[in-house]
Amino acid sequence: MTTYLDPHHTVRTDDARPASPVPIPTRVTVEPGPALLAGIEHGASLGAHRRQYGELPRLDRDALHDLVGRVRLRGRGGAAFPFATKLEALRRGRRPVLVINMSEGEPASSKDAALALTRPHLVIDGAVAAARALHARELHVVLPGDRPAAATAMRTALAERDDSVPVHSHVATPRFVAGQAKAVVELLAGRPNLPVTSWKPDAIAGHQGRPTLLSNAETWARLGLLVLRGEREYAAVGTRDESGATLLTLSRPGADPLVREAAYGDRLRDHLPAHAYGRPALIGGFHGSWATWETMASARVSVPGLRGLGVALGAGVVLSSPAGQCPLTLTSQVVDYLAGQSAGRCGPCFNGLPALAGALGAVRDGSGGPVRVTQLATLVERRGACAHPDGTVRLVRSLLGTFAAEVSAHGEGRCLEASRLRVVPVTAREFAS
Amino acid sequence: MSRQLRVDWPACRARGLCHEVLPDLVDLDEWGYPLVRGPVTDDLLADAQEAVRVCPRLALRLIDGR
Repeated sequence: MTTYLDPHHTVRTDDARPASPVPIPTRVTVEPGPALLAGIEHGASLGAHRRQYGELPRLDRDALHDLVGRVRLRGRGGAAFPFATKLEALRRGRRPVLVINMSEGEPASSKDAALALTRPHLVIDGAVAAARALHARELHVVLPGDRPAAATAMRTALAERDDSVPVHSHVATPRFVAGQAKAVVELLAGRPNLPVTSWKPDAIAGHQGRPTLLSNAETWARLGLLVLRGEREYAAVGTRDESGATLLTLSRPGADPLVREAAYGDRLRDHLPAHAYGRPALIGGFHGSWATWETMASARVSVPGLRGLGVALGAGVVLSSPAGQCPLTLTSQVVDYLAGQSAGRCGPCFNGLPALAGALGAVRDGSGGPVRVTQLATLVERRGACAHPDGTVRLVRSLLGTFAAEVSAHGEGRCLEASRLRVVPVTAREFAS
Repeated sequence: MSRQLRVDWPACRARGLCHEVLPDLVDLDEWGYPLVRGPVTDDLLADAQEAVRVCPRLALRLIDGR
């Protein structure tokens, strides 16, 4: 049993924290795809990787910047931030520190784990190419604390290599907020892997005050592919405005999650498993937004396209709510979990998220209305060191906005999702007679 | 230039002195944590500096811009 401190220095046990309604999977299914996931059947070894891609070309800082700018590479950790802008922000004059963030604290996402298991050398090549171009002082790899197979796969891959940049690996604390950039920089410094207030951007003063370039594992893998294959081949996938592809983690009830690679511009529905058809889904994970089936049916896999529909693709999670599962009940379980995942350091989050979870639970049970939920959402938003309260609020607001009829029904002691199910046995009996 | 009062949330322990010194700008939420209502205008600057100075947790900073 592990313990942690809350802001008022009392000790709570981790066991008291609500479990995620979506467990962190012990297995993940990975399908071959058009870009990163092309050729995964040849294995994850360095030998197989070099046979497929050849040696890593050397680039200087300007060439790297031009390349990522021309294909408009965006970060894949959730914010879709332009990589070229990140490079521009990196303070010159001191050798930077590079970080591969593989902590993947989001239970509904498994894409980084999938990369560790199938494409570790693309991830490392991307970071090493940048390390060479930027004359990085060191490269840090942050491994997931609760996905041991993925961590082992990355360690195995690192041991196969002989890169000139010094590489250090770390293991993230198994906690939803541990992958947040500031929390990762804390981990590198040997302090608890929890968010702290950011007074200066990491690109200016991150690890040990050095300019720090921290990116998600998939972002590095995309960069690796771009450097190894060149702009033309990279941009052969996707659309003219959005080059390349992106990884999706698709939930499957009763089965391992499925990681697929979708080219930008693909119809989202073409990538969804059968059970997801006709059903709403939580897009972008536990800090994401609900989308109705009508929205998803018309959506393309596109960062600006989905933003236009009011949905952020985030880290590529599509968590479908299968038939019979009430989205309000699922969201309430997710918010219970997220409240327990607060680092417990910021008062409004530590106090506000459990209150928000309680208020949403009351809406689910029909014992309270959504007014208190909205009030608490406003009270926790933008009042913490990290985006955990903000992401939780985004989820709650999208629930209230997307499922207003279900929320009203629960207020009257009913559930539309459950009522829909009740039709099934009646029809079955009629058929049997 | 507009100035903002920023809270170092992990450091704050809801002691509430900021509200006492600067009631025009800082309210307290239902748990006693500060709700900063807007930018620090020139007429509030001296009080804001005082709030930063008296915070027992050193959890407030005056920063330029947003």
